[in-house]
Amino acid sequence: MLTETFQKLDKFLLLCLLLIAALGLTVLYAAVYQGNHAIFQKQCIYWLVGLTVFIIICFVPLRSFALMAWPFYLISLLCLALVPIIGDVHMGARRWLDLGLVSFQPSEMIKWALMLVLAHWFASREPNTWKNFFVAVALCGAPAVLIVMQPDLGTTLVLLFAAIVVLMVAGFAWKWFFAAIAMSPILGYFVWGHLHGYQKQRVLTFIDPQSDPLGAGYHVIQSMIAIGSGGIFGKGFLEGTQVRLHFLPEQHTDFIFSVLAEEAGLLGVTILLALYGLLISRMLSIANHAHTRFGSLLVTGISAIFILYTFVNIGMVSGVLPVVGVPLPFISYGGSALLTMITALGIVMRVSIESKGMIPWQRANNPLV
Amino acid sequence: MLNQLNVRARFETRITLLQLSLLLLMLILLSRMVYLQWMQHDGLMLQAEQNRLNIVPILPTRGSIQDRFGEGLAVNHVSYQISMMPERVDDMKKTMAQLIGFMHWSPRQIRRIQKRIKKSRKDRPVLLADKLTWQQVAPLSARLHHLSGIDVKAGTHRYYPYKELTSHLIGYLSLARPEDVRRGFLRSEHVGRSGLERIFEQRLHGVLGNQQEEVDAFNRRVAVLNQSPPRMGENIHLSLNIRLQQAAAKAMKGRTGAVVVMDVHTGEVLTLLSTPGIDTNHFTLGLEKEEWSSWLNNPQRPLLNRTVQAAYPPGSTWKMVTAFAGLRHHSQLARGHTRCHGYVQLADRKLRCWKRTGHGKVNIHDALQHSCDVYFYELADQLGMPALRQEALAWGFGKKTGVLLPRESRGHLASPLQQLSHGRKRTWVRGETMITGIGQGQTTVTPIQMARFAAAIANGGDILKPHLELGKAPEIIRHVEVKPDDLKRVREAMYAVANKPGGTAYYRLRHAAWKIAGKTGTAQVVAMSQNDAHKSKVPTEDAHKDHAWFMGYAPYDHPKIAFAIVIEHGGHGGSSAGPVALAMIQELKDEEDQRTRSHAH
Repeated sequence: MLTETFQKLDKFLLLCLLLIAALGLTVLYAAVYQGNHAIFQKQCIYWLVGLTVFIIICFVPLRSFALMAWPFYLISLLCLALVPIIGDVHMGARRWLDLGLVSFQPSEMIKWALMLVLAHWFASREPNTWKNFFVAVALCGAPAVLIVMQPDLGTTLVLLFAAIVVLMVAGFAWKWFFAAIAMSPILGYFVWGHLHGYQKQRVLTFIDPQSDPLGAGYHVIQSMIAIGSGGIFGKGFLEGTQVRLHFLPEQHTDFIFSVLAEEAGLLGVTILLALYGLLISRMLSIANHAHTRFGSLLVTGISAIFILYTFVNIGMVSGVLPVVGVPLPFISYGGSALLTMITALGIVMRVSIESKGMIPWQRANNPLV
Repeated sequence: MLNQLNVRARFETRITLLQLSLLLLMLILLSRMVYLQWMQHDGLMLQAEQNRLNIVPILPTRGSIQDRFGEGLAVNHVSYQISMMPERVDDMKKTMAQLIGFMHWSPRQIRRIQKRIKKSRKDRPVLLADKLTWQQVAPLSARLHHLSGIDVKAGTHRYYPYKELTSHLIGYLSLARPEDVRRGFLRSEHVGRSGLERIFEQRLHGVLGNQQEEVDAFNRRVAVLNQSPPRMGENIHLSLNIRLQQAAAKAMKGRTGAVVVMDVHTGEVLTLLSTPGIDTNHFTLGLEKEEWSSWLNNPQRPLLNRTVQAAYPPGSTWKMVTAFAGLRHHSQLARGHTRCHGYVQLADRKLRCWKRTGHGKVNIHDALQHSCDVYFYELADQLGMPALRQEALAWGFGKKTGVLLPRESRGHLASPLQQLSHGRKRTWVRGETMITGIGQGQTTVTPIQMARFAAAIANGGDILKPHLELGKAPEIIRHVEVKPDDLKRVREAMYAVANKPGGTAYYRLRHAAWKIAGKTGTAQVVAMSQNDAHKSKVPTEDAHKDHAWFMGYAPYDHPKIAFAIVIEHGGHGGSSAGPVALAMIQELKDEEDQRTRSHAH
């Protein structure tokens, strides 16, 4: 069974992941070179742990994830609901939940939980019915409202976009989306009325970053200078002045892309974008060929989150999108983000393994889950 | 149950759609990168360089100001400043408590410092205290490595060792104001605000240097790339003799007035003292508001440089001007004599001599020696205003002397014509001409004009431009033609004032170290409401007391120095201003003796 599973591994997906890992660790090394070397060492350990988890996930039947879908979703939602009551305030927003041993952001958890529960619900159900439409709206709406109140408009939008992608491939006709969009102002108005002044202010700052030029504005300008000054071939490994002299904010987490852009130039950036493109494209292809409909929808949801993370993060550091605290997948420093994403990719790999040599779902005799 | 076939087709289209969207998004990001890294590269590269490079000015050392013997009058003292980088402070409360323990700040200073920290950026150094001595910072610097974010740096500040003595002459500095910044000064630079610090600003200041540094995002220096050192300002050597100034100040102690001493041949100013003065070090050491306003509101006006900015009625010292006018115009009286009965009777009023009983028969010599008013009433009456005014102008009155000091007053010469044109209702009366002849009325002169007049008498009629720089070539503004005989008569009379029994300063000055030729003056205060030196609120018992003048030169036979001393409300010129001259002459004599002794060795 062991060798069989290994033989079924999607080598292309694995290669993309390992190349991104190598590139990511190199960039992280450059980012923390001047400062805390422990960060680099920790990230190496996270990768080792992550790859182990990845291998283990490859052996976990997909069916067990389907069983976890509802409990996982409901626990996440409960945690999210607890945040306003017992959560910690970080940087003006209440996002963190401290459970003694670990403190985490339920808004991060709920994204994956929502993908799982939507995939599970629509694996066996007809889209384009009023009932399922409202189930979808309720499943997305509950966490969305809670996250907006934190307030964290960025995460809310990522969550909603990913959900829309899943519902799209689940087969909803376009008119349902138009209906949802038509409904959203009413929901928006209702939520807006319940926001506190400071929450409204945060939302407005998100919509118009110019209103806070010394905060996020300064960081984005410095990041654009780093990217632009890198040029075609970059300033060279460990040679980036913006990095070395700490002009980049959060240079080992959210703004790590700028480090790559400054030191490796357009060349390095193109390689990374290509790797991301190939990885996610491969994931979509796995979704397309999945043996079960549950697998298809889940892999699509995971791909959607990866696409959004990548696009929003790079868009934000290059000044085309507002600053949202979104990590660059597999490259930004951070153990929990890395483990979460590597687990998600492990699930994708599991779907690929289970689908190997099987026909994609389409006929009545295919298992749905 | 779901019919899978129904949704399969749509699923596949939408996966394809997603694949295309992915491609599109990646292309959007790529085109943004091409835009930034290729098309905008040059501009952003420049910005990165500007980020990284910091041109830091290096302030030049300001030149010092020294007296004629090289004694420092304005010097630079090493001082220390304490600054804090708030973001690097571990525990603000504890750090502040420790700082307060070391520095012994008053609660008010603590509040001010805390306010400053609160208002400043966290990643920039905040100045907590400066102008500190080594003794003050030593305990702190010994513990500095335990206090992260605190920095002690050495610098210099301006110091004026002679404090009140030179405050008017030297002036003071202050940090550049917005108008100075527009003129090209840096905010952190000090600029001469008054006195010679202001006049010689350009020469004293020096030239800024700069240093090209690589800095990080917190503006911390990472490396020095390039340096062009500053050029120190010029040291200015003054002609001033600070020991003479000290002697004058000692003799003036507690009195309000001015002393000017100048070299009769070169015009070099040896003493320029205005009392009371202020300790200008308070400006550099941080002036308290109360202190400043107490100076402003002090009735003795310590901020006024009386040597050049205040004009006083000359009183009897003016009699020399009237005498020269009489001699020049071959007035009968100047060659002859008159009889003083103690007053002159005019149609409507009686003009009195200071000596009620009268001086009897007086010629020009006696009239100057005894300062007889009646003689000069009559002389002035004979000469008339145009001649008197002409003479005054010739000796340099009514005009600025051109000494390099700010806001010099030109004084005022009485003039009937000018007053009519200025809308005076009453016509000029004869009595006014007569009192002008003895230096009362509307005439006012500055002490430096008076000293220059004394110098001109001593040097034979050369009106010099008084100057303060040692070794500068003398500048003769004009030569007043006086017949040697006439000059001799006036000089002899001035000699008699100090050296012959009956001379108005004889009693005080007969034992002077050098023989003095001089003239006392007692200027009435009551009749001079329009005098600009006197809008002050002096205590009433003093307000009516006369101003005392003493002017002259010494030694009599080979003059070296000329002087003018005025003491506000000093009373009689000979007895109150005379001793100041005496003290100064003694000092000069001592210095001369010392020089001859050291030459002999």
